[in-house]
Amino acid sequence: TALLDERGYSGPLVRGGNPAHLIEKAVRDRITSSLYWLEQCYGLNAATLCDRAAELTAVGGTYGGVGKPTPFLCLAFKMLQLVPERDVILAYLNWRDDEYEKEEEDGEEVKKEEKETGDVVNGSNGRDGEFKYLRALAAFYIRLTWEPVEIYKTLEPLLADMRKLKRRTREGYALTYVDQFVDDLLTKDRICATSLWKLPSRTMLEDLDLLEPRESPLGEELEELEREQEEKMDESE
Amino acid sequence: KQHQLAVGESGKVRIATVEEVRERLKWLKRKRDEEKKDEVINLEERLEVARE
Amino acid sequence: AFWDDEKVDDEVDDTDDIDPEAELTAWKLRELKRVKRERDGLIAAEKEREEIERRRNLTAEERE
Repeated sequence: TALLDERGYSGPLVRGGNPAHLIEKAVRDRITSSLYWLEQCYGLNAATLCDRAAELTAVGGTYGGVGKPTPFLCLAFKMLQLVPERDVILAYLNWRDDEYEKEEEDGEEVKKEEKETGDVVNGSNGRDGEFKYLRALAAFYIRLTWEPVEIYKTLEPLLADMRKLKRRTREGYALTYVDQFVDDLLTKDRICATSLWKLPSRTMLEDLDLLEPRESPLGEELEELEREQEEKMDESE
Repeated sequence: KQHQLAVGESGKVRIATVEEVRERLKWLKRKRDEEKKDEVINLEERLEVARE
Repeated sequence: AFWDDEKVDDEVDDTDDIDPEAELTAWKLRELKRVKRERDGLIAAEKEREEIERRRNLTAEERE
């Protein structure tokens, strides 16, 4: 297609180039020849992509002996072709059903507990993004395509999202969490079979007054937790 | 139907607006909740059958 | 699913709120580690800056 053609590409540029090229060539080739890509990703737009993302059961890059691309990676690549507008990406990342909450007001215990848990971790952002794998997908896309300050500002609130994620590894599956996955995006140089361009450190951006120091959602509980941890360490010595 | 919706008559993929994305997510959420509810009902029915 | 022909053991369960309290505690520990890492990074950067400053202040003789 035109999007994949080196010379024919006329879409929006991201970081000075064709956004699809943020995924390595060898991996791209595996994606575009995979069954999932051919049968599940054709003709998707930013809205219908949600159908596929809602079915995701794991994050990950490639797996198995031949390095099969995960649906997660295929959808990420699809997004790099579509280059959805910013609001769409933010909807993927943070959308939550307000009406639903109202209907459930007299709801079950579990719901209430969830809300209380949310309060502990400073509320709002901890559990936004109803579909957690879609949220992870949007986070991955943001890390690849946005500017450093925006990346920190938009992704750091997700460090309060403790929901579990499955990660497809070469051999099988591993457990991770939304907060862990986002932390990896902010600190590692390779994830999901993709090299991440070098993100300036938080400290550097703080020194330039582009970012305020991060405030942990643990807040005042932080000191107490640290003391507890130290005590535990002392005991084990 | 979904496919036609996305691709349209010209064969070119129609760009979705953010409103469409939100509507889609809302629909998907309802669908998922319905499925969960059905699962619980099925389970309860099966338990009842087992008890009898 | 049809596109997935690799059969692997999948023992990982990603269901949330099975044990909310334990899940919250585990998250707090992860967050605590992050805060510590950030702080250690800051201290290291500060030390480096001091070291550069110190060297800059050394006179040529002292350097010999």
